[in-house]
Amino acid sequence: METELESNTPREWREEFEAAALRPLEQRMRYAFIRTHKPVLDDAEYRSFDTMEEYRAWCDKNLPDWLGYGRV
Amino acid sequence: MAAFEYRQAQEIRDAFKRREVKYLFIGKSGAILLGYPDTTQDADLFIEKSIANGERLVQGLLDLGFRITDEQAQQIRQGKDFIQLKNGPFDLDLVFAPDGIERFDDAWNRRVEIEGFPVCHIDDIVSSKQAANRVKDKESLPRLLSFRDWLKKQK
Repeated sequence: METELESNTPREWREEFEAAALRPLEQRMRYAFIRTHKPVLDDAEYRSFDTMEEYRAWCDKNLPDWLGYGRV
Repeated sequence: MAAFEYRQAQEIRDAFKRREVKYLFIGKSGAILLGYPDTTQDADLFIEKSIANGERLVQGLLDLGFRITDEQAQQIRQGKDFIQLKNGPFDLDLVFAPDGIERFDDAWNRRVEIEGFPVCHIDDIVSSKQAANRVKDKESLPRLLSFRDWLKKQK
């Protein structure tokens, strides 16, 4: 019988979780970390924000929408 | 700059252990350490906010090769809520007050150790993503929630 987890989780995802669990951490990380240039965000060597609210507001105001950093 | 590598995660782990920095991997990089199969660009670290830990963190970052000015070091010691570093051998996001997690000590007590890497519990990673309420988090949360449920079934 299908468990609740199985019924709520697409089979494809479950298979991905199971496959990942069989890989060594080093290999998982090699597959996971990618590098693409994020406009604006990657254009400064250092930024700091006093509060998370300030950071979120900065993202809303300055980053392109398609990066996905804006609040819902 | 090349993508973040396992070797660099090891360097963080080893340098911060030497300097006794109290920190946790959080965000998607934390989830990946827990086994979550997905992609990301940066490593996110949740840092305990205290002057002493901030000083140890500055020393650890200098050991790793980050170029930190006196003013930046002061801000790191002070523990601003969020600091983005792109002035070193790899990019790092330092989070001192992540959304959705009340106290560092609570997250520390729930942490998971993976090959010596201190990682936030999957519940804390999910909570912070939910509280951040960003477009990219909303899109990725259903799969992360499924992973959380799957991970808990493995215990």
